[in-house]
Amino acid sequence: MKVWLKKLIYSDDIVGALGIFLVLLVVFFSVMTPHFFSLMNFNSIIGNIPAMAILCLGLTFVVLVGDLDLSLGSILGITAILAVFFFKVMHFPLWLNLISCVVIGGIFGAFNGAIVTKIGINSIITTLGTMALIRGLTYWIAMDVDAMQVGRITDPAFLNFGRYYFPEKSRLIPITLVYLVILYGASALFLNHTSFGRQIYAVGSNEATARLAGINVKRVRFVCFIIAGMLSAFGGLVLVAQLGLGEAYTGQNMILEVVTAVVLGGVLLTGGKGRLTGVIIAVLILAVIRNGMVHLEQVTDISFYWRDVAKGVILLLAIGLYSVRKSFNAKRLRTRQ
Amino acid sequence: MKIIGNKITTNMSLFAFLGFLIIVFSFTSEHFLGIYNITSLLTNISYSGIAAIVLTLVIISRGLDISIGGVIGLTTVVIATLYSQSDPLPVWLILIIGLSTGALVGLLNGWCITVLNMDPIITTLGAMAITRGLAYVISDSQSILMFEDTTDFISNGTILFIPIPIILFLITALIFSIILHKSKFGRAVYAIGANETSASLSGISVKKVKMILYVLSGLAASISGIILVGQTSVGMPQHGIGTELEVITAVLLGGTALSGGKGTIYGTIAGVLILGVLFNGLTISGVRYVHLQIFQGILLLAAVATYEIKTRNEVAT
Repeated sequence: MKVWLKKLIYSDDIVGALGIFLVLLVVFFSVMTPHFFSLMNFNSIIGNIPAMAILCLGLTFVVLVGDLDLSLGSILGITAILAVFFFKVMHFPLWLNLISCVVIGGIFGAFNGAIVTKIGINSIITTLGTMALIRGLTYWIAMDVDAMQVGRITDPAFLNFGRYYFPEKSRLIPITLVYLVILYGASALFLNHTSFGRQIYAVGSNEATARLAGINVKRVRFVCFIIAGMLSAFGGLVLVAQLGLGEAYTGQNMILEVVTAVVLGGVLLTGGKGRLTGVIIAVLILAVIRNGMVHLEQVTDISFYWRDVAKGVILLLAIGLYSVRKSFNAKRLRTRQ
Repeated sequence: MKIIGNKITTNMSLFAFLGFLIIVFSFTSEHFLGIYNITSLLTNISYSGIAAIVLTLVIISRGLDISIGGVIGLTTVVIATLYSQSDPLPVWLILIIGLSTGALVGLLNGWCITVLNMDPIITTLGAMAITRGLAYVISDSQSILMFEDTTDFISNGTILFIPIPIILFLITALIFSIILHKSKFGRAVYAIGANETSASLSGISVKKVKMILYVLSGLAASISGIILVGQTSVGMPQHGIGTELEVITAVLLGGTALSGGKGTIYGTIAGVLILGVLFNGLTISGVRYVHLQIFQGILLLAAVATYEIKTRNEVAT
């Protein structure tokens, strides 16, 4: 058997299989529908994913150390409202707005991290609580913002933060794609080539061993929550700039989709395993399905609401195959010995 | 004896807190203790309470079910769609089909978790997407009106002046507290949650127990769905969005541990009541809806932090 095929079947990594699946999906929609395969449509797919992809990146850090953060959607929501508030009421320049929002996101992340590591409450319960808490605060602030009727942003400098294209005339590369490449590239370097990044994997795969190896486990987990909070805030800013609008319910019900993408990308919920390549491919798969189903509905009678069903089925299939293969591999090793 | 003592004190402190809330609200609003408000409060919590009772068992066995909200939405749509056909099936059959929708989803969840050995969070996350998606597909994202006597009776009818949802909630609570606290099956659920390997080695058929739990959880969500159809007279795919988080919050508030092996039905009843009283009391006292979520978040964090610190002290002594 060819080596790469063997690797694909037996390795624990599902990134290769995900990549092939993404290509198959693109080919399928390109063949089935007339307008799917075009630069404009690809730009629109890329334009739809930044907030989602950035949240997934943040969640990946938290999941890699074996925790879960359900409050990221709420942090994105409060940033969206605060960005509008800072911009329209406080008249912050863009750079100051950016820094304040990211810092505030970091503070919320630190709040989560402090409860999880200092008091020792399960991260799911903690962030279930802070999710409601932060969303409540968002609605509270939004009431004032609504009362002042400042929800919409029309200032081009702010909007270009999420809508700019390189080069500007031919609309080839959206600025959001640049953000994603930089953020994912930097994070991949950070995770794989710095000692702190390796500590994240160490803590996630076995906390006790990591502690015995001299790693400050609590600090690593704490920092991951802060990184996730800051990234979510940045995602919120990008979303506001793209929409030209910040609303109280921005990012509501988003978190379960984010968890879906991260899990589909092959990041283990128990921590210690997962690659950013897998996460971004999973985000792209979900985005392609979302976009492709709309195209498909126009040429066939298939309702585009099947996309949610497809999402669930793909998640179950991917993780099901993964877990079947894992037990199969374990059996294979046992018979060899 | 000591363990039983601790269990009682945890539940006692929850009910004491509930009593405190009731006293506070009876001062802040003159209508709070009115008979009309109390029945409407209890009717409102019955809907999510039924799902919470069954979810308690699932969480004690160290599982989780996030697909509850999706199942509720799908059940309402299935029932309303079947009823709105030009030549509808008899109502009892429609209700049975509605119930089996939830049971089927539970079966799928249970199969993935026990046979394929998948993580319960991931499995039910997938099931959530599938059920919600199917609800949208079947209804074509429309709300389907359903004015029908049986579902109306189930949701709005009364027996001896007690609304039927409350009776359903009480019956569910009674049955499951007997199952959990007095039967062999209940002991098995605790054993699985505490340590699955040793439970399996001591002769408990872990897979069977887990499978039953997930089917029951789906079934309970469908019952919630049926009540919702009657209360709103409409089946729509958006029904039950966010209910799963509300239900999980109530269960955790009641002292059930996500790490398994710990929790009681009485605790969950207290959790459901506290959330219901808090929302109702704050609303009736004129607190705006937007602030309720803040209270809910703080309450959950405070309650769980108290448990955590208390257990740590117990371990230390």
